[in-house]
Amino acid sequence: MAEQKSVPQKKKKGCLGCSLPLTIVIIVVVVALTVIGFLSGAIGQKLFGVQFPSWLNVGVPVVELPAEAVFHIGSGEPVMVWGAQVYPIPITNTMITTWITILVLLIISLIVTRKPRLIPSRIQSLMEFALEWIYNLCKDVAGEKNGRRFFPVVCTIFLFVLVNAWMNLIPGYGSLMVYEHGIEFPLLRGANTDFNTPLALSIVSFVFVTYYGLKNGKFGFVKQFFNVGRFGRGFADLVKGKVKPGCSGMFFGAINIFVSFLELISYFIRLLSFTFRLFGNMTGGEILVLMFLYLFSWAISGSIIYGFELLIGAVQALIFAGLTLVFATMASSVHEEEH
Amino acid sequence: MEGLGFNIAVLIAQIVGFLILLVILTKFAYKPIIKMFDERAGKIKESVEEVQKVREQAAQAEEEFKKKIEVASKEGQEVISRAMRTGEETRQKALQEAKQEAQGILEKARGEIQRERDDAIGELRQEFADLTVVAAEKVIEKSLDKEAHRKIIDKVLDESSTLKKK
Repeated sequence: MAEQKSVPQKKKKGCLGCSLPLTIVIIVVVVALTVIGFLSGAIGQKLFGVQFPSWLNVGVPVVELPAEAVFHIGSGEPVMVWGAQVYPIPITNTMITTWITILVLLIISLIVTRKPRLIPSRIQSLMEFALEWIYNLCKDVAGEKNGRRFFPVVCTIFLFVLVNAWMNLIPGYGSLMVYEHGIEFPLLRGANTDFNTPLALSIVSFVFVTYYGLKNGKFGFVKQFFNVGRFGRGFADLVKGKVKPGCSGMFFGAINIFVSFLELISYFIRLLSFTFRLFGNMTGGEILVLMFLYLFSWAISGSIIYGFELLIGAVQALIFAGLTLVFATMASSVHEEEH
Repeated sequence: MEGLGFNIAVLIAQIVGFLILLVILTKFAYKPIIKMFDERAGKIKESVEEVQKVREQAAQAEEEFKKKIEVASKEGQEVISRAMRTGEETRQKALQEAKQEAQGILEKARGEIQRERDDAIGELRQEFADLTVVAAEKVIEKSLDKEAHRKIIDKVLDESSTLKKK
């Protein structure tokens, strides 16, 4: 009884779950950090010019689109293939983070599936919640049978993109610097901000969609890109002497061919749109965070951008996985639509 | 492409990395988890079905219970009515017996009365006859033949309705 009575009293006294003095301390610290951050940031320096110790000053961020190579495997003369340097094989900082991401995912999956139980533990139920959500999404979009087939690829894309994006936001991730050949660059860099990673995912997604298009959509999948049937029938009519249906058939057939050609182009353009959507969003987000940290140093706005980036990472992961799922479903159901 | 940082070696490395992740996750994470989802769904379905079954059984049991109660109440009703009928019968029988007994007593009493009456009439006749004989002797001063006289008197008495011998 005494405990029950004291609980609401505590709640009344405290604020945001802390006791009143603690809340005041937190607010003071946050405000102080915001003010100091603002004053030491680029804008604050320009406006007020208050002198701070050098460690508080943030340097101008350098944006480097290509991932920096930490070291190379092999040596000797570089070999160029399609205008890109291939040999010696560079081990870039994004490759390192990719492998860290893979390791993290493997460790999590090991923890989760080491003892799969019907009544799950906390981390298991959290992981299961995410996986079940994606699993149900797959089943809802692609149907029971295809949903099961698509799930591994869709889910791996989701987890890969998500963990890549979120790992990049861990404080200190980009702060480990490496010097090589007189250039300073971070040892770890978000894998999604390397053009090659989104491209790799796009190619995987593209191959996946095409494979299921050919497997499930069969002839209809190919036919949607080379729709010459109507044109051929119109031509045959014209040869037989039926001028009017022949002409109209050839006319609409020509439109069909044009539309299917557009379809073919847009199919391949997906590769680029997939790549640049993820690459642009992730790189843009990274640059945005860097710029905010430069302009305001530590500020409330910096935290807001951080939270925003968390959301963007999740949304991009969902978009990449979801679009792959939708395209695969569409490619699989072309055959059915034809009849 | 160069400006974006395209590098075919890195690209291949990323694809390979992703495929390795895909294979390992599929084998070690998705398969057991999907299996567990299925199992769980099966369990849930099973338990729901079980609940349904139990509910049906309960309903059936209730139905049976109701039926039994109905039968029991009917039986009870029958027992009561039978008991009432038996009671009625017993009562009727007792009444009958009482009536019969009363009738018997009455009959007997009647017989007794009749007999007593007959006796009284007989005695009276005797006395009357004797008296008549004596009176006649006195009147005619002469003894009558007693036997012949009696016959005459009997005849007279028989003629009179009230003292007729039965």
